[in-house]
Amino acid sequence: MDEVAEQQAEQNNQPPYWTSVGIAGLIFGIIVFALSLVTSYAMINSEPTGSLFSPVQLLGVFVCLVGAFGGMLAIWHYANEYDISIKLGKGALIGLFTGICIALVTVVFNQIWQFIDPDMTQKLIDSTIANFEASELPDDTKQQMIDSTVQSMRDQNSIGTQLLYNLPMYGILNVLTGMIGAKVFGKKEG
Amino acid sequence: MQIRQPILYASILLLVFVVVLVAMGGGLFNQSTPWPVQWQHQSFNSLCHQIADRSFWISGQPMAVCSRCMGIYSGFALGWVLLPMLSLMKITRVAYIKKIVVFVLLFNLIDAAGNFFGLWQNTLVSRTVLGGMLGSSTALIFIGDFFQHN
Repeated sequence: MDEVAEQQAEQNNQPPYWTSVGIAGLIFGIIVFALSLVTSYAMINSEPTGSLFSPVQLLGVFVCLVGAFGGMLAIWHYANEYDISIKLGKGALIGLFTGICIALVTVVFNQIWQFIDPDMTQKLIDSTIANFEASELPDDTKQQMIDSTVQSMRDQNSIGTQLLYNLPMYGILNVLTGMIGAKVFGKKEG
Repeated sequence: MQIRQPILYASILLLVFVVVLVAMGGGLFNQSTPWPVQWQHQSFNSLCHQIADRSFWISGQPMAVCSRCMGIYSGFALGWVLLPMLSLMKITRVAYIKKIVVFVLLFNLIDAAGNFFGLWQNTLVSRTVLGGMLGSSTALIFIGDFFQHN
């Protein structure tokens, strides 16, 4: 058997990674969704300051890039579960699927939340408008900002728009963390 | 010089540059739509706090990510580009690099915490430098995986 065929056979014999992808995707999807919910309600309940960003968003300083680490968790789980070596390419692939899973879970939870609190988007829009109204921008700029932001916030409710914005970035960043995970957690060959 | 997994290396190089370009925001392309609703900002919406005061500005518009995230992405891109040259250093103990990554990561967390609790005031540049150190040291984990000098 030649080397390529041997490698192919080895790859085929490796256990499936879907459980790890699913677990990491679900955990990080819930974390990302929960963080966006906290930020949204904090914005709804805050007084309009005229600033485009509320002070509660400073909390985000600690959670930057949190959604990018799903790939690493998936690899850690996969490597721990089966005690096998993971090639960089496979780590990237697992990371990509985990990123897609995170984006899908976030979208699904967002849609479910629309049934739990159907007024959330409207409250968020009202809060944003109040914030713009309190700002010191010139009137025509203010109105332009309000119109485009409100339109964008309404568009974000659609599944297609959410997937369009979330899938590529979560996919790419989790590819990178998947590779890092393969390097850090994968058992050394030989 | 022997190149291993060239397709994977080139794909990541391309993806990382796409991320850096998108992270630079609409100011780079002089987009006329208000920056909070530009697609670049929407793409990073759930990945970064995007506070304008904590971001670099291009053409009167803030970048789509904060200065620390920009440092991480650009640092990783720089480290990835330099991998062929850095592999000349023949660093075989990747464990050392992993320790450096953990150290720089802790350094970033301490810096963010100190600033948050008012112990000190970090700046755009200091956050970018620390983020850049984290990004570039992370890329160095892959030293020896793609390029080997005989």
